[in-house]
Amino acid sequence: MEIKSGDELAFRRVYQEVFPTLMRVAYHVTYNKDVAEDICQDAFIRFYDKDMVFPTMEDAKFWLIRVTKNLAINHVKRKMRETASLEKVMKNPQINPFKDGQTEFILQESSAAVRKAVGDLPEIYRTVIVLREYAGLNYGEIAKVLKISESNVKVRMHRARKELGAMLDREEVNVP
Amino acid sequence: MCLDDQILNTYLDGELAEPWKSQVEEHLSYCPSCRARYQKLVQLRDAVRDAALTDEEIAPRQERVLSMIEKNHLSKKSSQSFWRRHFRVSAPQVIGVAAAFVVVFIGSWAVFGGNKDNTIPLPELNTTIDLKNITPVRSTDNASTSKSLESYSLDEILKNLDARGYDVDIRLKSIQPLALDRLDSEVKDVARIPEEGITISSDGMARDDSGAIVATGVSLDASNQVVASDGTVLFSAEQVSLIE
Ligand SMILES: [Zn+2]
Repeated sequence: MEIKSGDELAFRRVYQEVFPTLMRVAYHVTYNKDVAEDICQDAFIRFYDKDMVFPTMEDAKFWLIRVTKNLAINHVKRKMRETASLEKVMKNPQINPFKDGQTEFILQESSAAVRKAVGDLPEIYRTVIVLREYAGLNYGEIAKVLKISESNVKVRMHRARKELGAMLDREEVNVP
Repeated sequence: MCLDDQILNTYLDGELAEPWKSQVEEHLSYCPSCRARYQKLVQLRDAVRDAALTDEEIAPRQERVLSMIEKNHLSKKSSQSFWRRHFRVSAPQVIGVAAAFVVVFIGSWAVFGGNKDNTIPLPELNTTIDLKNITPVRSTDNASTSKSLESYSLDEILKNLDARGYDVDIRLKSIQPLALDRLDSEVKDVARIPEEGITISSDGMARDDSGAIVATGVSLDASNQVVASDGTVLFSAEQVSLIE
């Protein structure tokens, strides 16, 4: 069914259905819940204000995922630049985003390690993992969102898991 | 020959086509070393999925963002935008509310161009307007002004111009019903401005994705910029994608 993004009822339906996915995409790229929340808000406001027409709910969802992914990546890049210049001046150790005082939910040790490992992946690998595992997209859909070929998705997915596996293996050794 | 990791990953994601899929399954059924590597990939995949942000972590934020959008956006947006309100009314409706239907001339976005013969004349305003006191208003800014213009209501635009001391030329214009230009079979879409969701057709109409006309008399110039009838550049070539 056609979706008009500026129509309030349609907007509410899309919001209900897509928000959790967007929040996961934004979070697993930035690994900061407050930042992820702001990004989702930004994405949905753009969606509503732009008054677009999508042939299906899926198309609306892909648009939102693409925008959210871009906003999240931009945030990470900006953050990295800031941290880099800050470190130069202050010789600050890298801030660990997983110990940011968010104690509302007790996370399993293993999940914390995985989140850290995904967060340490280079951007091109992180995005395919996030879109596959946290947005539930298939290769064709990931290719569409990232505007790369499916065979490229295949290669990146393989390398992403290889790096992740190596990082988590190291992690296990280090944990007493 | 044993299976490489990329094949195993593709298989794991359910993206391997036949006949390779059956071949992989067959190989896994008798090769313990590949099976062990595959199991490890499954474990890794599951561990990554288990680390997903939980519904409990999401729910309060989902509510908070929605109530912010409800407060600041859903209620504020008038049911239809400035342009939409003007172009979507059908001719009989327009005649009924003729006195309320006005066009403000602001630079290149002045609208309702086109063939006079096809237009429907409307009754005049009841209000007496002394033409000597009226000066047309032109937008002094560049084309980007038109972007923000759309988000204002006519009332707001009039109030704003009034507050700035402009005399505003308000007048009734003839209406060309949308249905008429649709009948012109030679009209086809020539370009799109993806960022704005606007399509330009060969009859000089610019429409948004809902089909509402946002401007008339626009065209593509030699360097693929979208220009208004007076030559003002509305969209640069980088913003424009051509439709073959
Ligand atoms: Zn084997």
